[in-house]
Amino acid sequence: MAAPMKSMGSSFNATSFQKKTRSKLISIPGTRPSVQNGQLIVSTGVTSLDYLIGGGLAVGTVLLIEEDRYNSYSQMVLKYFMAEGVLCGHELFLASAQDHPDDILTELPAPILDDIASHSPMEGRMQLGGPHASQDAMKIAWRYQNLPKVQTALASSSRFGHYYDVSKKMEPEIRQAANCHAFYLPEHSAESSAPHSPLLESYSALLRSIQEVIRKGGFDGAAPPAKSRNVLRIGLPSLGSPLWGDDLCCRDNPAHGHALTTFLYGLRAVLRSSLSVAVLTIPSHLIQNRAVMGNITRLCDNAIALESFKGSDRETNPLYKDYHGLLHVRQMPRLNCLLTELPDHKDLAFKLKRKQFTIERLHLPPDLSETVSRVSRGELAGAAATGTSCGSSGNKHLDF
Amino acid sequence: MLLELIQGTEGGGLIIIQDSIHYSGRTLLMSFIKAALKRDEVVHLLAFELHEEELKHELGHSSLQRLKFHNAFHDPLGWNENPPFTVHQFITSELDSLLTSNQHSKPVTLVIDSFSFILRHLSPSAVCKTLQQLKKGGAVKTTLGLLHSDMHHRNMVGSMCHLATSVLTVAPGHQCHEAVAKTIRRAKSGKISQAVERFSISDDMTVKVQSKPVPVGSGQGEAGDAEVDPTANLTFNLRLSDQERQAKEKLALPFVFSKEKKSALLRPGPGSGRILYEPDANDDYDQEDPDDDLDI
Repeated sequence: MAAPMKSMGSSFNATSFQKKTRSKLISIPGTRPSVQNGQLIVSTGVTSLDYLIGGGLAVGTVLLIEEDRYNSYSQMVLKYFMAEGVLCGHELFLASAQDHPDDILTELPAPILDDIASHSPMEGRMQLGGPHASQDAMKIAWRYQNLPKVQTALASSSRFGHYYDVSKKMEPEIRQAANCHAFYLPEHSAESSAPHSPLLESYSALLRSIQEVIRKGGFDGAAPPAKSRNVLRIGLPSLGSPLWGDDLCCRDNPAHGHALTTFLYGLRAVLRSSLSVAVLTIPSHLIQNRAVMGNITRLCDNAIALESFKGSDRETNPLYKDYHGLLHVRQMPRLNCLLTELPDHKDLAFKLKRKQFTIERLHLPPDLSETVSRVSRGELAGAAATGTSCGSSGNKHLDF
Repeated sequence: MLLELIQGTEGGGLIIIQDSIHYSGRTLLMSFIKAALKRDEVVHLLAFELHEEELKHELGHSSLQRLKFHNAFHDPLGWNENPPFTVHQFITSELDSLLTSNQHSKPVTLVIDSFSFILRHLSPSAVCKTLQQLKKGGAVKTTLGLLHSDMHHRNMVGSMCHLATSVLTVAPGHQCHEAVAKTIRRAKSGKISQAVERFSISDDMTVKVQSKPVPVGSGQGEAGDAEVDPTANLTFNLRLSDQERQAKEKLALPFVFSKEKKSALLRPGPGSGRILYEPDANDDYDQEDPDDDLDI
């Protein structure tokens, strides 16, 4: 437990030792090679999410975020992604049909530049000052008092991403230093696509715009090697909503059933041959067709789903009171390797704090009540979906 | 929160009233109109499902004069010549020309009765685009409409509510004159607030909220109380009386040291667990080692 803290502290006294590498890896600010498969990865802006998807987002891949019901947390993650791009000096591309991209960019969270937000897992050590309080805390297991508490927040020890303060907005000076391309659908004139193409006009215009930006910016390797390479970060909030002209979210049998999937196929093809990363959010709670949702997930590389407790009956559940929602990892990519690196724990919950978006393992707190009435987690998760059948309520008798 | 929405203190946006066959939201819609007229705002009403006579009966003649009424009930699909208002006129260009006909600088409220009728004849993406443009454009401060949730697919209702700033779901209450309204409001900062309130509407279209707002999810508390006590119905006694509990707490546990010894043990000493070993010749005997019987 002591090791992670030490290495976080030692990153401050940066040694002058530089490993001499003759490798052909491109060194772009804000990226590093992954320790798992050597791919070039960028940070998503949320360090817990970086740890979850294997260190970071690989360049050339797509991250799909299935939106929560009121689209608050998924927008936040997208803003973190864009803010990370601004800080690393990457170029940004933001396409939206609902709010103007410039409005979204003014709402980026402010970075915490001076110090990393230190969450102290070593709280036990601080309590030695008050012996009375500390020794009464644990009567039987007092030898374990000074050991740090189990670190449930997922974090890797290297300093790759940045931390942001959600209550403040990013300064305009920092934001304007980054080059941002905007695509606002209502302002785009409707150019007619080929009559039999499965793509909608909005999607084909978007794809053409992305290709244009990549070509002009030299992200696809066409630029002369003298010019320094950079990464393009593409953010696509609320793709597939009715504002894009797609009725995927409104009907069970949509008229343009293959428009979004064709667009994703084209997007991934464009991304694979260029130095760019894309994060898109889809209102999946409106798409009833599981087959379509499965197709969309397969066509993206990384896929996570956010489920917020707001508005559902889980909000008042004492088990979930510390968290804002659950996070499900739907898919992880296999990039140049045979196996994916899946996270160990399947039950993850997230919490948006002021200085950090934490993703933690959901663990049961110790049951300190007199009666032995420990509600098991499986019962909760099942009861919400299927309603209390007599089977699940009968389990309470068997609790020891 | 319902009263605040009616008074319009929140700054407009798109408000959707979801009703069903069990309770019609039209009276609530009328109370919104009346409150807006009282605030001296310009109110445009697109009435697809309501006849002018009925409206006069409900709202009163004087209010009807001040309201900008667009009769879309007689000929919504334009089958005869010169229809007063058709459903195909629900696009931004036509609506803008309709709404900017007044030169006053008062805030404009657009009331639509109902969205369900429009959604049956126009594609949902076109309707959503128009509503989004109305929300963004400066012409209209508040757009308000009824949506019959049992007439559409659940996802259609969901897509409409995805766009809305506030969604009010009305349902019948326990008493005959009461109804329950669940309000979900999305603030500009992204924060969601919600409340469930019981209300009733009087004859002059004023809304009275009957009780304190009931927080969402209060039904869960009752389920938790019905827990089974596992120490009951047993042939042996698992409970502790007070005396027994005191005796239990007074019991000295093994390995419970005095405070000084505890703090001495807890202090991270230099070598609290040192192993002192002096190498012994006999310890080097290894049965596996073949060189051991060499005599050199």
